[in-house]
This record gives sequence, C-alpha cells and structure tokens, in this order.
Amino acid sequence: MCPVKKGEKMSTDTLTPVETDIDLDISQLIDKPWITIVWDDPVNLMSYVTYVFIKLFGFSKEKAHELMMQVHTNGRAVVSSGTREEMERDVQRLHDHGLWATLSRDDQA
Amino acid sequence: MSEFIRDGEHYSLDLTIDEAHILINLVEQLLELLGEGDFHHHYDESDPFAQLMSQLKAAPDEIVTPQDPVLLRLLPNAYTDPEAAADFRRFTEPTLRGNKQRILRKVREDLTQMVDHEESGVVEDIEGEVWLLAMNDLRLALSVRLGITEESFERFEALPDSDPQKSIYAVYFWLGWLQENLLALLTR
Repeated sequence: MCPVKKGEKMSTDTLTPVETDIDLDISQLIDKPWITIVWDDPVNLMSYVTYVFIKLFGFSKEKAHELMMQVHTNGRAVVSSGTREEMERDVQRLHDHGLWATLSRDDQA
Repeated sequence: MSEFIRDGEHYSLDLTIDEAHILINLVEQLLELLGEGDFHHHYDESDPFAQLMSQLKAAPDEIVTPQDPVLLRLLPNAYTDPEAAADFRRFTEPTLRGNKQRILRKVREDLTQMVDHEESGVVEDIEGEVWLLAMNDLRLALSVRLGITEESFERFEALPDSDPQKSIYAVYFWLGWLQENLLALLTR
C-alpha cells in the first residue's frame, strides 16, 4: 500500500476551489479528532451488539457484523468519530444499551 | 418453555408464575441498587428461591456507594481518564440511571400485571425494545455478581447442583436464551 500523507490530496486539487478545500480540512482537524470505542465483554450477546450498532449508527447488517467481530476478536473497535460532543452522545447511547464504551482523542487511541 | 411471541407489532411473553416471580425479584433488586425504593415487602422469606435471589443483592453499605461493581458496569466510565470520567459522570449519570430505572419499572409493571391475573400465564402487550434492554441490564448485573468470563459455562456446569451459584447461573443462562429469542423476533 502506498500511504498518502495528509494534506497531499489538498495540494494536488487546490488550483480552483482553494477556499472550500481548506475549510473542509481545517474543520476536520479542529472538530473531529474524537472517537468512540466499544470494548469487548463476555456478557453482551454477539447478535445483540450487532443489533445495537445497526440501531444507533444506521450501519448495514454487514458493517455492523464486521464491527462486532472486531470488538470480539481485537477486544475493541472504533464505532464512530466526530466532535467531542457527538462522541459523548454516542457513548451515552451505547451505555443506555449496556455496551461498554469510552471516547477519547483520536491520537490517544 | 417460556418464550416471546410476536403477532404483527404486538409482543407478549409466555411465562410461568414462578418464572415471573424470579424476574420480578431480579428487577426489584436492580431497581433498589439503582437507588429506587424498597420492594422488600414483596419477597416471601419462606421461598427458597427468593432467598437465593436476595443473595445477589449488594450489601447495604455497598448500595450507597458508586463503587459497587454492578453499578459501575451499568453506569460505566465514559473516559479512561478518571478525572474526565468523573466530570462527565456528574452531568450525565442521572439521565443514564433514570433511563435504566424507567425500563425496569415498565418490565416490573408488565410482570406484576401478569401475576395479578394468574390464570393467563402470558405477559401481554409488552414493548419489545424495553424488554430487550431490561434483560440485557439484568444479565449484566448478574454477570458481575457471578464473575462471568468467557469460560464460565464449563465452570458452572462443573459445580454440584446444591451450589446456589449454579442456580443463579441457570437464571443468567435462561435470560440470555430469552434475550436471543426476543432479538430474533425483533429483527424478523
């Protein structure tokens, strides 16, 4: 795989719509550095976790199942990213459903 | 065999009276642990199963402290950093706690209604989602008291039948079965 450095894409297609691209990038850097992590536990049923992912995040059945398996095999999975406020809301909704979730800054994950 | 029944958008639960009493006991204990009321007068002290269930209840001094492991599992930290977790908890825990209480109260209401009309043997007109969440919280609570791990099935199977932990595990296992049963109907 060839890793594309952040900002590289911006510099290649900036010639015309400069402002929009910069705006988007800045808002991503400032507003979206938080993630919600769901941790594995030996109690929640696999089918239930999949169900909750579909219900709360609107994932497809396949995507929800994939994330559930990630939680199960890796011990955790990132289920959403966004502003701190958004992630706090996601964590609360996951706690309402009995899933073990935390939020943190993306770079600390 | 107890099971959920779906008829269109209507859900009901086929249950024996004994099973209903077990669930009521569990729900009330969890409500108490979450800081709601005292349902103790509902327990029949001569009933061995009720006594067994009451062992699941936290010691009184634990009930007032948020350090209770069951409460910590149901109302977990939102941050791994203790300070951030404590800050967040101050603002959000009452809502989370209230949501869980509301769901358990609803389930308790459904069950007591069924017990009051003993002949039916069916918990009528239940909200599938509410029951799904309540059963999950009950399983989480039991799992903490039982010390559930990935290998628990073998461990509890190996216990002698006389061990009270084995009976509680049987209830935990049964709840998992019921939850799976309801989930299959909800996603049908």
